[in-house]
Amino acid sequence: MSRVYDIVGKVGDEQAFRQEIRDWLAEKIPAGWRARWQGVREEELKAEIVAWLEERRKVGLATPHWPREWGGPGLPFAYQIMVYEEFARADAPELDMYTISLFHTPATLFEHGTQEQKDKYLSGITQGTDIWCQGFSEPGAGSDLAALRTSARREGDHYVVNGQKIWSSSSMHARYCLLLARTDPNGKRKHDGISYFIMDMHSPGVEVRPIPQITGESEFAEIFLDDVKIPVANLIGAEGNGWNIAQSTLSTERGLLIFGAVERLAHSFGLDGREAKDTWMRDVQHRREYAALYAELQSIRLMIRQLLIELEANPDKASPTLPTYIKLTWGPFLQRYTEFLLRAEGLEALKWQPSIPGTGHSSRLRMNDFLKSYGWTIAGGSNEIMRNIVSERILGMPRG
Amino acid sequence: MSDDLDLGVLAGSFAEMLDAEWPREKAVAYARADHLYAEDLWQQMAALGWTALTVPEEYGGLGMGSAAVAALHGALGAAAAPVPMLGTTLAVELLLRAGNAAQQAAWLPGLADGSLRAAVAQPGDTVVAADGDAVSGSVANLLDAASANILFLRAVRGGKPAWIVLRSDAPGLSVERHALTDTTRTLGTVTLDGVALDGDALIVPADAAALDDALLRIAALAIAADAIGGGERVLAGTIEYMTVRQQFDRVIGSFQALKHRVADHQTALVAARGLVEYAAGLAADHPQALLMAISAKQHAARAVAEIARDCIQLHGGVGFTAEFFPHIYLKRAKVNEAIHGTRPVLLDRIADMLEAA
Ligand SMILES: Cc1cc2nc3c(=O)[nH]c(=O)nc-3n(C[C@H](O)[C@H](O)[C@H](O)COP(=O)(O)OP(=O)(O)OC[C@H]3O[C@@H](n4cnc5c(N)ncnc54)[C@H](O)[C@@H]3O)c2cc1C
Repeated sequence: MSRVYDIVGKVGDEQAFRQEIRDWLAEKIPAGWRARWQGVREEELKAEIVAWLEERRKVGLATPHWPREWGGPGLPFAYQIMVYEEFARADAPELDMYTISLFHTPATLFEHGTQEQKDKYLSGITQGTDIWCQGFSEPGAGSDLAALRTSARREGDHYVVNGQKIWSSSSMHARYCLLLARTDPNGKRKHDGISYFIMDMHSPGVEVRPIPQITGESEFAEIFLDDVKIPVANLIGAEGNGWNIAQSTLSTERGLLIFGAVERLAHSFGLDGREAKDTWMRDVQHRREYAALYAELQSIRLMIRQLLIELEANPDKASPTLPTYIKLTWGPFLQRYTEFLLRAEGLEALKWQPSIPGTGHSSRLRMNDFLKSYGWTIAGGSNEIMRNIVSERILGMPRG
Repeated sequence: MSDDLDLGVLAGSFAEMLDAEWPREKAVAYARADHLYAEDLWQQMAALGWTALTVPEEYGGLGMGSAAVAALHGALGAAAAPVPMLGTTLAVELLLRAGNAAQQAAWLPGLADGSLRAAVAQPGDTVVAADGDAVSGSVANLLDAASANILFLRAVRGGKPAWIVLRSDAPGLSVERHALTDTTRTLGTVTLDGVALDGDALIVPADAAALDDALLRIAALAIAADAIGGGERVLAGTIEYMTVRQQFDRVIGSFQALKHRVADHQTALVAARGLVEYAAGLAADHPQALLMAISAKQHAARAVAEIARDCIQLHGGVGFTAEFFPHIYLKRAKVNEAIHGTRPVLLDRIADMLEAA
C-alpha cells in the first residue's frame, strides 16, 4: 500500500527524517535490482535508472545535494549525510551514467553558469532527460591537463571546435558535454587561453567511440570533434577562464562524490566481515588485515564529514587541503581493501561475472570492484598528482 | 636424462617461439574474445616437444627435470600463453610417482605428444568417494577442466587417499565451464554420474602425503616461474611505455616518483627469480626441495601480483583499457596467487617446516 511520503518536510527532526526515508526506501527501491541490472543492455539499464531517478524526484531526492532554487531539496549537510547513509544502508542503486550530470555539472553551473544556462540545463538533469559527460582529458593531456590541444575558434556567434577527447565517462549516452578547449593558442602560460563550453553531443561533427575497459564494459569513450559548432551562449564564464572553472568541476570528485561511495563501502565492509565469519575471518592473518583496514575506512569517513561541515559553515573558509587528503586516502584504501578481498576469498573471487551497475564499488563481485578501484587512483588527478599537490602546494617542498 | 641440455638455450628457444607466435597484440586480442584455450599455440608447442619435456624418453619424452619445468613455465608466463601446460606437468609427475606401468604406458605418450590435455586437482579440491566400480559426485572449480580431455581427480578408496583418472568423454561425466577474469585459463565444475572406473582408472599411492608434496613442489615451481616470467614482461612493457609517454613536456619515466617504483619492482624480480631458479634446481629429494619451492611460490606470486597492479597505475588511463596489455598480467598474477596453495596456507606449512627443522 503506497502512502504519501514527506521526507524533506521532516527536516528538523532527525529521527523522523531517517524513519521517513527508511519507509520510503523499503517501498520504492526497485525490487531485485541487483540481479536484474547485472549485465543488462545499456538501453534497458538507462530506463531502469530513469525510473529510479523519477521515484527519487517525487520525494525531492533526485538531487539531495542541490539547493532549492535549482530544484533540489535544499537540505542542510547533516541531512544530506543522512540521505547517503540511509541509501547505502538500504542498498539503493546508484544513478550510474548520471554521475557527471548530478555532480560535475551543478558544481560548475551553480557557481559559474549564467542564469539562462542554469534555467536551460539544470531541469533536464532532475527530470532525468539529459545525461552529461566531461570532455577534459585528451590523448596527449591527462595528468598534464593544461596541455590540451582541442581548439575553439570564434566565428561570429559561435565557436568552431576541432580535436579529440578521451576517457569521457558515459559520453556514449550523453546529450551534453562539459568541454575544455583552447581559444587562445598564444597564452603566456598553458593554463591561459583555455575556455569552458557546454557542447551539445548531437551537434554535427561529434563522433563517439566507446573504449573497452579491463572490467569488460565500456563506460567511457573517445570523442572526435570535427568542425563542431558551439553557440557563444554556451561559453561558461569568460573566454580564457576555463582552467579556473575546471577546478570547481574537479572539486566535486574530491568531496561529495567520494562521500556517497564511502558510505556505501562502509556498509558493504561490515557485511563482508560478518558474512566471512566461518571462512576468512577465522584466519588470523586475514582477520587482522581486515581489522586494520577498518581504521582507515573510518578516517576517510571522518575527514569527509569534517569537510562537509566546514563547507556548510562557510565555503570560503573550508579547508583547501582536506579534499586532496581525502582523495589520496580513499583511492589507495579502496584498492587495497578490494584487493584484500580477492586474496581472502581465493579462486572463487576471480571468476568472471558481468558487472552490476549502480553498486559503486560495492557490487561484491570481488574482481569487478577491485578493477574499478583504478577509477579512483587514476582518474580525476592520479595518486601521483595528488602526492605532488600535497608535497609541493601544501607542504611547500621544492618542485622536482 | 638429457639434463645436460643447456637451460639457457632451452629458455631462449621457448622465448623465441612465443615472441613470434604469441606477440602482445595477439594476447590482447585473445583476452577480448571468448576462448577455451589457444589450440593453435598448443599444437605448435606439442610439435616442438614442449609437452614432452618431463616425460621419460621411453615414452617419447625428453626426460627433463624441474629446472626445465621452470624454464618452460617462465616462458609461458611471460607470454601469458593460454595453454593448459600446468596440467601436463602435474599429470606427468603424478604418473611417474604413483602410476603403475600400464597407466604410464597408457597416458604418458599422449601427454608427451600433446594429444592429451590434463586437468589435475589442486590440494583442497573435492575428494571423490571411489569405493565401487563407478563414481558419482562433483568437483567444483577444477583448473583448466573445460579444455582438458583427461581429468585427474582426488579420491578416497577403502578409507585411503587415491586418484582417479577419467577421460572427459566418459559416459556420465560432464564439465560445466566457468570463465575466469584471467582469460588465459578457465575453471570447470566436473559432475560425475555413475562414471565407470575401469582397471586403469585408479591410482593408489603407497605414500599419499609424499605424493601430495611432490605434486605441490612441482606446481609451486611451475607457478612461481610463470609469475616471474609475467612480472618481468609486464614491467618491461611498462618501462617501454614510460620512456615514450610524455606529460609536462617530459617522458613520465623521468619522474623520480615513478622510476623509483620501477627500480623497486626490478630489484624484487631479480631477487625472486634467483629464488625460483635455485628452488627449481634442487633435486626432488633434497631436504629443502619442498621448503624452497613453496617459499618461492608464495613470495613470487605475491610480489608479481603487486608489481602488475602497479603497472596499470603507471600506465594511467590506457592501463584501464582492454586494448592495452597490462591487465592480462594482473589477472593472471591474481590466479597464480590463488592456485595450488594460497599464501596463508603455504606460509603455515613453511612455518611448520622451519619450526621442526
Ligand atoms: C575510469 C576512468 C574514468 C575517467 N573518466 C573521465 C571523464 O569522464 N572525463 C575526462 O575528461 N577524463 C576522464 N578520465 C581520464 C583521467 O582523468 C586521466 O586518465 C588521468 O588524468 C590521467 O591521465 P592519463 O591517462 O593521460 O595518464 P598520464 O598522465 O599519462 O599518466 C601516466 C602515469 O604517469 C604519472 N604521472 C603523470 N605526471 C606525473 C608527475 N608529474 N609526477 C609523477 N607522476 C606522474 C601518472 O600518475 C600515471 O601513473 C577517466 C579515467 C579513468 C581511468
